[in-house]
Formats: sequence, C-alpha cells, structure tokens
Amino acid sequence: MSKATSESTTTAERTTTGETDERVDPEWSNYEFEGTPKMAVEDLDVYYGDDHALDGISMEIPERSVTALIGPSGCGKSTFLRSLNRMNDRIRSARVEGSIRLDGEEVYADGVDLVELRKRVGMVFQNPNPFPKSIRDNVSYGPRKHGDLETGLLARALGRDDGDELDELVERSLRRAAIWEEVNDRLDDNALGLSGGQQQRLCIARCLATDPEVILMDEPASALDPIATAKIEDLIAELAEQYTVVIVTHNMQQAARISEQTAVFLTGGELVEYDDTEKIFEDPESQRVEDYVTGKFG
Amino acid sequence: MPRDRYRSALDDLRDAVVGLGEDVVVQLETGLAALESGDPELARAVIDGDDAINEAYLAVESDCIDLFALQQPVAGDLRFVAASFKILTDLERIGDLATNLGRYALAESSESSPEVDVVAIGREARDAVEDALTAYRTRDVELCREIHARDDRIDALCQRASERVVRDLVERETGNDAWAVERLLDDVSRLLLTVRDVERVADHAVNVAARTLYVVEHDSELLY
Repeated sequence: MSKATSESTTTAERTTTGETDERVDPEWSNYEFEGTPKMAVEDLDVYYGDDHALDGISMEIPERSVTALIGPSGCGKSTFLRSLNRMNDRIRSARVEGSIRLDGEEVYADGVDLVELRKRVGMVFQNPNPFPKSIRDNVSYGPRKHGDLETGLLARALGRDDGDELDELVERSLRRAAIWEEVNDRLDDNALGLSGGQQQRLCIARCLATDPEVILMDEPASALDPIATAKIEDLIAELAEQYTVVIVTHNMQQAARISEQTAVFLTGGELVEYDDTEKIFEDPESQRVEDYVTGKFG
Repeated sequence: MPRDRYRSALDDLRDAVVGLGEDVVVQLETGLAALESGDPELARAVIDGDDAINEAYLAVESDCIDLFALQQPVAGDLRFVAASFKILTDLERIGDLATNLGRYALAESSESSPEVDVVAIGREARDAVEDALTAYRTRDVELCREIHARDDRIDALCQRASERVVRDLVERETGNDAWAVERLLDDVSRLLLTVRDVERVADHAVNVAARTLYVVEHDSELLY
C-alpha cells in the first residue's frame, strides 16, 4: 500500500561513489494491509554479545499469506525469522528485547511452552534435513513427540486402531506437501534415498504434520535445482491458503514471484521498507532498497 | 506442470487483451454505424465509451508491468508479455480512432458530401482488427501474414477514396457563396480525416498481427 512520506526523508543524496546517505523514514515499513495480523513484532532488538543484529524492528505479518524477507548477507533477516519462534534462545550469546505476539499472545512471555510455540510456528531450513528414518517415520515423528497420537482417543471413538490415524496423518501431510504421489508406494524406504527436492518437501510435510499455524522458511529452495525450486514455490503458494508463511530468501526473483508482501532488511539490522511486493519491486520509497532490488547495491 | 500461478497469469493477460480488443471492436462498429446512419445517439455512445476503454487499457498495462517486475518472463513468455504490452497500445489507439468517427458523425451536416463509401472501407478495417485478435488468441501465423497482405487492398481503397474527395472539391461549383465554400471545405477535410483514420485502424490491426508473429515465431518480418 502506498503511503505518504515526508519530502525530507524520501530523498537519498547520492555521492560520487554511488553510495547513498539516506535517512530511513519509519513510514516506509509501516505496512498497512487488509485482514488480520497473525504475528506482530514491536521494537525488536536482538544482540549476539555486543553485536547489535536487529535494530528496533516493528512489523505485522498478515495471516494466510506469504511474507518474504530479503536483504544482503548479515542484514539480520534470518535472525529475525528465528526470533519468531524463539530459535535464537538456543544461541547462548543471543539477547532479545522487544515484543513478538502470536495471535495477540506474547511469544517472549515468561512461562511460554517452547515446544508448543514451535509446534504452532514451524520451521523449514535451508538444507533438507530429514531424519535417517523411513519416510513414514519422518512425518509422524513430530506428532508422536508432541503426544498427539498417544491417547488414541480419536481412533477409539471412530472404532479404528491407532495405525489408521497415523496413516491418515502421514498421507494428509504428504499430500499437502505435494509429494504423496511420488512416495506413496515406498513409505517405509529411508528418506535419505529421496532427491534433494523431495527431501525438502518431505521436511515441509514433517512440519505440516504437527499442524502449525505459521511456517517459517529459511532459504528453502537455495540448495535445489530450478525444477525442484519451482515445485517448492508452487507448494508455498498453496500452503498460504491455509497457513501463514514467512520466507527468507536471497533470491529476489523468488520473493517477487511468490510473496504478497516483502520486507527489506539492509546492513545494520534495520528494516528499511516493508510493503506490497509489487510496490517493493516496482516503486520502492527507499533509494537503497531500489539499488538492492535492481542489483546495484554495494 | 510447475508455476501454476504464473501460467495462469499469462492466460489471464491473453484473455484481458482479447477482452479489451473485443470492446474496441464494438466501439469501432458503433462509430461506423453512427457515420452510416448519422444517428447522434450512436455518435455520443462511442465518444462516451472511450473512458471505459482507457481504464481497461491502463489496468491491463499495469498487469503487464507486474508480470515483468514479479515474474521476470524469458524466451517465448517474454516475447508474449512484451508483444501484449505493445498490442494494448494499438488497441487503445483504435478506440481513439473509433471516437473520432463518432465526432465526424456529429459534425456531418450536408447532403453535398462526395460519394465515398468510407463506412464500407471501415468495416474491412474492423474485420482486420477482429482477425488480428483471433490470430493473437490462437497464435495463427498464417492469419497474421494474411492480415498484412490484406492491408495493401485497404490502403488502395483509402487512396482512391481520398483522391475522389479531392477531385470533388476541385470540380464542385460553389460560385461566390462564401458559406458554401466554407461548408465544402469542412466536409472535405472531415472526409479526408475519416479516410485517414480508417486506414490507421487497419494499420493498427497489422501491428497486432506483426507482434503476434513475433511472439509465435520470433519473426520480426512484419514489424519493419
């Protein structure tokens, strides 16, 4: 959505070296959208020891859509992504200040169940990382771990055994991840025998099996060939009909192709601009964002 | 096949261009009917209808820009989006020329106009536009070349019509009636403009065919 900006802050003074001395207008990242925010981030600062990795980030993430995070290496976009489900808690030197809310509930509040949080906010990583187990076990691992299949209440109520419920879950998850047709005749084969693209879709199925509400993806297609990448991108578009997807990508064309809104982080851990993807790629407010998306950055 | 949304966006673009073209053909026919009948209602209808054409044109143009910016089409897709972007301009211009016909119909005043059947030539030009849209929609390269060849005939008809109008001017007896001279000059210039606009409609149809040939065969023979 286009926003009014004050004249004093929209002009980037370009030096003879091509660099810009640009003052960031907070309005550039004040993205207004129709619909409900799934997650709301406010004044988020993340430090790794003395390193200030994210500087006062505020943004809302709309539900059931794809939000892309782009920016050069070291800009903090992966740090931001990991903050959303507190994966940064695993890094000893990391310190987080500010607020992140999921459906209005503070993610960083004392007493939050991290297992439950990461079940609701699942994650898919850059390199496919299936467990060295069967395809079936990979998908059912999460629900078993979370105890969803332990009680067997649903199965008993329906007059079936637990195996039916498990098979149903595995099939549903693999179908949603658009890989069922390719693996349904070899569910007991080792997942490591799949191609890279299939492994990544299996990892997405594994994530879906825990019935998340938000799916965080950190460069999910960067290790894949163009055909596997296209399948993942199509899958992301389908998932967004049901889930809230946040994706970090170095591939600007990928962000343009698949996302509804794009947030641009630049060096120094600052969120410079956040808007409809069309706006970012056709008429960004920031000169530095324009330089970045046109490949003239740095 | 992968990239469902992208492929469906390309299909949507083709449908939108064809839809705009069909609306433009309706405008053109209304303009010709206004010229033929002198009906001021038809003339005003075609003039008023141009705003909707312009709005649709801008909307589809914006779709093309989104496709360029967000999908980075290459190869045949690039030629298709680039050609569609250009074809849109041709269609919008045909819409403008149709409104000109409406204005000429409103200005037409006398029974003294030369015997030139510009409406019949206009219908040939309209047919060329319709066929060009069909060629674009169905990727029919033979039809593209046929439309190009047909344009020579329309050009010749327009040439003869213009000569007839000028000859009529030269031969017309107006005496010292200044008002009659003025009216004759108005009629002649309006008729020459009408003939020119009809010829331009056909030229735009050839442009659509040329861009279509470029899309399908990467052949720019009709473009230059």
